[in-house]
Amino acid sequence: MTVAELVEGGPLAGARMYGAGRDPVRQVRIVDELAVFGTVAPHTAVVLIGAAAAGGWAVEMAVRRAWEQAAACVIAPSGGLDEGSGEALAERLGVTLVFVDEDPLVTAVHVASAASRPEAARTQLVARCATRLAGDRPSVRRVLGVLNAELPGTSVAFLDPYGDHLAGRRATGRGRDGWTVEVDVADADGATLGKLVAGGSSRSPGWPAVVRTVLELALAPLAAWAATERLRAWQDFTVQEALAERLLTLPPEPAHHGPVSRQAAPHQVASRQVPPHEVARQEAAREEVAREVAAREVAAREVAAREEVAREEVAVREPGIREGVSHDPASHDPGSHDLASHEAASHGAASREAGLPRGAGLPGRRGGTSSPTPREEPSGAEEGAYEQVTDEVRAAAAALGWAVRGPLTAYLVRPAGGRPDAVRARALIAAALGPVPVVRRGEGWAGWSGVSPDELAVRLRRCVESTPWPCAAGAGAPVGGLGAAEESLLGAEAAAFVAGPGTVARADRMGPAELLGAIPADALRAPASVVLRPLLAVDRDGTLLRTLAAVLDEGGALKAAERLGVHRNTVTTRIERIRAAGFDLEDAATRLALQLACRVLLP
Amino acid sequence: MSRLIGPAELDLLAAGARLLATGASESSSALVRDWAASVIGAGVELVAAGELDPGTWCAAVTLVGSTTALSEQLPRGDEPARAVRALEGRLGRRAGAVVALNLAAENALMPLVAAAALDVPVVDGDGTGRVFPLVEQSTYTLGGVSAVPLAIAGASGELAVLETAPDRVEELLRPVVLAMGGWGVAACYPMEAGELARVLVPGTVSRLLEAGEKGAPREVAAPFGVRTLCRGRILAVEGSSGHGGELAMPSLPSSIVVQELEGLRRLVRLEAHNEIVLALADGAVVARAPDQICMIACGDGLVVDVDKAEPGLEVEVMTVTAAPVWHTEAGLALGGLRAFGIRL
Repeated sequence: MTVAELVEGGPLAGARMYGAGRDPVRQVRIVDELAVFGTVAPHTAVVLIGAAAAGGWAVEMAVRRAWEQAAACVIAPSGGLDEGSGEALAERLGVTLVFVDEDPLVTAVHVASAASRPEAARTQLVARCATRLAGDRPSVRRVLGVLNAELPGTSVAFLDPYGDHLAGRRATGRGRDGWTVEVDVADADGATLGKLVAGGSSRSPGWPAVVRTVLELALAPLAAWAATERLRAWQDFTVQEALAERLLTLPPEPAHHGPVSRQAAPHQVASRQVPPHEVARQEAAREEVAREVAAREVAAREVAAREEVAREEVAVREPGIREGVSHDPASHDPGSHDLASHEAASHGAASREAGLPRGAGLPGRRGGTSSPTPREEPSGAEEGAYEQVTDEVRAAAAALGWAVRGPLTAYLVRPAGGRPDAVRARALIAAALGPVPVVRRGEGWAGWSGVSPDELAVRLRRCVESTPWPCAAGAGAPVGGLGAAEESLLGAEAAAFVAGPGTVARADRMGPAELLGAIPADALRAPASVVLRPLLAVDRDGTLLRTLAAVLDEGGALKAAERLGVHRNTVTTRIERIRAAGFDLEDAATRLALQLACRVLLP
Repeated sequence: MSRLIGPAELDLLAAGARLLATGASESSSALVRDWAASVIGAGVELVAAGELDPGTWCAAVTLVGSTTALSEQLPRGDEPARAVRALEGRLGRRAGAVVALNLAAENALMPLVAAAALDVPVVDGDGTGRVFPLVEQSTYTLGGVSAVPLAIAGASGELAVLETAPDRVEELLRPVVLAMGGWGVAACYPMEAGELARVLVPGTVSRLLEAGEKGAPREVAAPFGVRTLCRGRILAVEGSSGHGGELAMPSLPSSIVVQELEGLRRLVRLEAHNEIVLALADGAVVARAPDQICMIACGDGLVVDVDKAEPGLEVEVMTVTAAPVWHTEAGLALGGLRAFGIRL
């Protein structure tokens, strides 16, 4: 047992220690007068009583004598010495000085028992750790808190499988005599969650083994924590996904805002009439209202989990809301907004009958989860109930900080290799993009954001750079509102498809060249050769293929002749030979396939 | 070989007496110097104890109580003479010489005032070689001379003669001094010159005259040697304990922590009880009573009183070695650490 162990986790718990306390304690000596020091052996904990603790001068002299005798530490009753001066001398001489509040004789007995049977003291430590770790509701924070509090002179950190710090105290600089203990943490299925890394500079032999034992005690709570977190995250995303899909299928809000849409009014005022510098202030007020309304409405729901999620999301993502609206110049353009509203209105009218029941049924389709299913009512039938549902969905989205109106831009993040962890991917996307919905779409994850396309592209870049596996991302063209979100989503999907790993492509910046550039030439080369085999069989020098490409690219024999530098009739003759090989150039599908094949085969 | 202490020598003696003395306040020093100057006339004779007829009856004269009180309640001027006369009356003998109990600041001059009034010589020497807080802490006591009977005269004409067991002098004297207004002049240790020559620390007055010369090194004032413990800055002044509760000292124990400014930069703790009695450097004893430990301010070269010490002050800590008799067993018992309640 070192002095530090005694103080931080042992019989001296709560005492004030000055000095490093690295010396092992082998025995205890009670000293009532300084003359006794002559017989104090090294590694002794000296407990001062009586005259030897009578005043600051006596304690100072004892510290000095302890230094001369290489004692492990001096334990003095508090109050004898101004602790500041004591600390200065202890530091100067490198002697550990401990002040205790209880009777020094009682202290001496405890220290003696711990020093004579260090194993017993360590067993006590392990038992105490086990009890504390087994407490209710495991969380990584609690577990690491317990480990760092109970293991004296030891830093414990939890690192993820990629080596990034997740929780706990980072190990301080490891000195020459430092040590580390690493324990892998696995989840219930045996997959690696990360590892616990403990380090310290204690020279006490056997201490790292104790640390390992305690770290191993922490494995079960950590696995339980991971399982709970995953379940919660999965539920969160399930809930959010359902909500996002419902939003996409909602009819647009009316162009003229009545009392029905409660949160909408302040926002409209902000975006239409108030100059930009006023917006930020009003935004704060609007958020207040939105949060209140959302909280009230969400609370009314019967699923408590949902409520918790929504509040947390609001708390975390507030800044995003502000940024999303006030920084976007498009949101102050009444023209585009109106247009979008009208568009959306007509779209909504069409989808009202068919769309809503489908939307309402969506979460149900995922049956079996504990996701909060909106009340199952025939919402299409009654206008009031229908509006209520609409409001609820919008409120929930607002509570999550999502853009539910105004110009928005869709995005899609697509994995480009590796085996992405869905929960983590969604968490990373949400972290990089701010408060946005994250919905599974094909292989990737999609959603929309209220920030400008420029800002969104920046955030997407941050996102694809932060994922531990390669990802590509695309941003759609900005659209006027939720009603047109699908259109933007398609653009984002295409753009993401075009983008290479680790890059971001934007649909609004994408032309035919970008699309063609995205054609997977390698994959298509073999099928192209098959398609063109009849032609290639007769085309010894590639003339026919080049002519075919020129005709298709230029859209006619005349221009093709100019490009190829031959007479028009030559081109016509060659076209005849191509037809003879079995290709019907009048057929649009054939034409497209051939053009694609030419592009793949020709350098 | 007698010499005369005239006005010029008086100034030298006053200056020399302050070099290592604690507890001296500027105003009371000036007051006593002026008092002495006004009464010595052409001068007072300074004689060695051996030069006197061994049967000459002598008394020690000393100021008791607080010098601050002295500067607030001015003397009538006849206090030393009244005290000696009272002792003469009590014992039925006529004083042939007076001697100092100690030579710290005002106390070095008080015998001059008495000698001038009584027209007797002053003996070159004193009863401590330094200053101690208690009347009975003297080489006279160590030599077997009793401090009593003791006569004390106050500024309002009061006079008291004490006869007690030798170890109860302080107990009786202190309330009397308080009642007199905080200070008085005492005549005590009545003895014959032959005995005085045996028990006093000789030649100390001459030494202070020498040390009072401008440019004379401070060491001259210390007959048995002086050494510098350290130069440092006061870090803290703390209350202290562990000095033995039964001890009746005029002031409370305190502890001064000094950080050495050069060399090893040791942490020096000065344990004070009325005066500094113990010096620890990094917890090791470097000086202790009966040697005198004092702080000299680096700024003005004046002695820093224990109760004037404050953090930030730069001081030189010095030890003045006490007379050899203080290092005998009896001397240590009377003026050593144990006398101040510290059992080491």
